Amino acid sequence: MSSIIEIKDVTKEFKVLNRHEGLKGSIKDLFSRDYKVIRAVDNISMNVIQGEIVGYLGPNGAGKSTTIKMMTGVLEPTSGEILVDGNVPYKNRTKNAQNIGVVFGQRSQLWWALPLVESFKILKDIYQISDNAYNEMIELYRSLVDIEPLMHKPVRQMSLGQRTLSDILAAFLHDPKIVFLDEPTIGLDVSMKSKIRTLIHALNKEKNTTVILTTHDMGDVDALCKRIVIIDKGRMIYDNDIENLKSFFGSYRTLKVRMDGDLKEAAESVQSILPDCSVTADDEWISVLVDEDKEGVIDVLGTLQRSFGIKDMKLEEISSEDVIKKIYEEDGL
Amino acid sequence: MKRKSLGFYLRIYRKILAQDLKSKMSYRADFIISTIGMIFTNISGFIGFWIIFRNFPSINGWSYHEMLFLYGFSLVALTPVQCFFDNNWSLRQYVYSGDFIKYCFRPINLFIYFQSEVFDIKGLGQFAFGTGTLIYSWIKLDLAFTPLILLKLIVFLITASLIMIALQNAAAATCFWTHNSFYVLDLAFRFKDYARYPITIFSPVFRFIFSFVIPIAFIAYYPSLVILRPDEVPVLSWLSPLIGTAFFFASYKFWMYAATRYSGTGS
Repeated sequence: MSSIIEIKDVTKEFKVLNRHEGLKGSIKDLFSRDYKVIRAVDNISMNVIQGEIVGYLGPNGAGKSTTIKMMTGVLEPTSGEILVDGNVPYKNRTKNAQNIGVVFGQRSQLWWALPLVESFKILKDIYQISDNAYNEMIELYRSLVDIEPLMHKPVRQMSLGQRTLSDILAAFLHDPKIVFLDEPTIGLDVSMKSKIRTLIHALNKEKNTTVILTTHDMGDVDALCKRIVIIDKGRMIYDNDIENLKSFFGSYRTLKVRMDGDLKEAAESVQSILPDCSVTADDEWISVLVDEDKEGVIDVLGTLQRSFGIKDMKLEEISSEDVIKKIYEEDGL
Repeated sequence: MKRKSLGFYLRIYRKILAQDLKSKMSYRADFIISTIGMIFTNISGFIGFWIIFRNFPSINGWSYHEMLFLYGFSLVALTPVQCFFDNNWSLRQYVYSGDFIKYCFRPINLFIYFQSEVFDIKGLGQFAFGTGTLIYSWIKLDLAFTPLILLKLIVFLITASLIMIALQNAAAATCFWTHNSFYVLDLAFRFKDYARYPITIFSPVFRFIFSFVIPIAFIAYYPSLVILRPDEVPVLSWLSPLIGTAFFFASYKFWMYAATRYSGTGS
C-alpha cells in the first residue's frame, strides 16, 4: 500500500530571542540580537498509509503542533521533506487544504453567528462539493449522530460538546483524504467523549479517511488507534502498534492496596521501603507500579503486609496511560 | 480540482460577507449605537472643517466649495476601506491569540478569505454623507456633468480607495512581525486626515512625503484635480490609477508574504 503522508528527516527550528528579566531586561531585549535556536522538531521520519488512525502523542511542548502545522502547510520545515498525498504542503497550501480537514479542540473554525447548516453551505462552496456528494455526506451524518438539533442552532449558542461535534462534522464534510484532530475530546464529559470517538471511528471506516489524532486522553487512543507515534522534545521516541507498546512494558503491573490512616502519608512510607517501584495515592487506593522482572508482585505484597495493615487489594494490568506516562518520564526508550 | 475563477471568489465572498451582516444585525443595540456614533463622527468632522472656513475665505487659492469637494471625495474614497477591509484592524488579535491559523486551513486565497469575514456597515453612513457633500459642492461650483466626467470620477474614486486600502494592508501586516500593529495602523489611519487638504498648503518636504513616501495625496488631491481643475492637471494625477493599482498589488503581496511568517501559538 502506498503512503498518503511521507515525512523524511524533518527538522524545524525556531529562532528566539534570549530574554532578560525585569523591566531593565526588557529594554535591553529591544536592542538585543542575542538569538538562540530552538529545535522544536528534530529529524522525524514516518509514513502513514491511507485509512490508518495514528495516535500522535507526546507531552506538552513536545513538538506535536509544530509537526501538524508543517503537514497542513502553515509552517515550512527547516530541513527534510514532507509529502501529503503527493503535495509539498508548504508550497501548495491551498491545494493541500483541499485534501485535508483540521479540527482544533479549543478553537472552532465555524462561523460563530451562523447555524451549522449555513456554515456547511459556505464550506460546500469553498471546497466545491457537488450536490450529490454533499447530500450523501449529510445522510451519512444523519445515520451516525443526531444532527437535527445542531443544524439550526448558531454555533455561539452550542455547548462545547456540540461545537466539537460540529467542528468534526465540518472537517469531514468535503470527504478529505486526511483529517487532523488536535485534542478533539478536551474538556468534554464522558458520554460526549464516547460519542465523538464512535463518530470518528465510523467516519474512518465508512470513508477510509486517514486520521492523525493528537490527544492527552489515553481513552481516545485505546478506542481509536492501532498505531501510535510518540515524540518528546522534538525527537520521535516510539512508532509502532499499541499492542507492541504494552508488551514492551508487559512486565509491569499495578498493585493497588487500601489501608488505614491518611493514604498520602502512607504512600510516602510505602515508597521509602519500595525504592524500585513508583508509588502514587488517590482517595481510595495506593497504587504501586511493580516491574516484575525485578521483583514479584507477591513479594511486594508480602513486604507491605509486614509493615502495614492492609485492608483490601487488587491487581491491575498496566494501562496504556501508565505506559505513556512511563515513557514521558523516562524520556525515550 | 476545478480552477478557482473570479466568479467562484465573488460567490464565496458574498456568502461569507452575508454571514457577518446577519450576525451584526442580531446585535441590534450595538448596531444602532454604532450607526449614531458614525453620524456624529461625520458631523463633528464637518463642523471642524466649517469653522476653519468661517474664518478664512480660502486656503492657498482653494475656495470653500472646492475644499468641500475634496472633503466629500475623500469620504467616498475611504468608504471601501471602511466597509470591506475592516478586518485588518482585528488581524493583530487573530495573530496574537493564534486564531489566525483557522484561515490557513481553507483551500482559498488567504487574503480574500480573511477580508471577506467582516463587513462594516457603518461605512455606508460615511458613503451617504460623502456623496451628499460631493453633490452639493458639485452644484455650487457649477461643474460640468457629462458621462465622461462621471466615468473619470468613478475611476479616480476607485484609484483613491486603492491607495488607502494599500496603506492599511501594509500597516496591518506589520503585526506578523511585531504582534501588535495597532499603532502602525492608527498612524496610517490618521494620515487620511491630511488627505482632504490640497497638497500645495504643505511645505515642500511634506509635499514630497505625501506624494512619494506615504502617498496620501493620491487619496483626494491628485484625483480630484482632474475634475476640479481640468486645465492644470499635473502628470501625477493621470498616473494615479496606475500608482493606485501598483500600490494595492504591492500591499497585497506584502500582506501575503507577511502571512507566511505566521507560526501560530502553542496549543
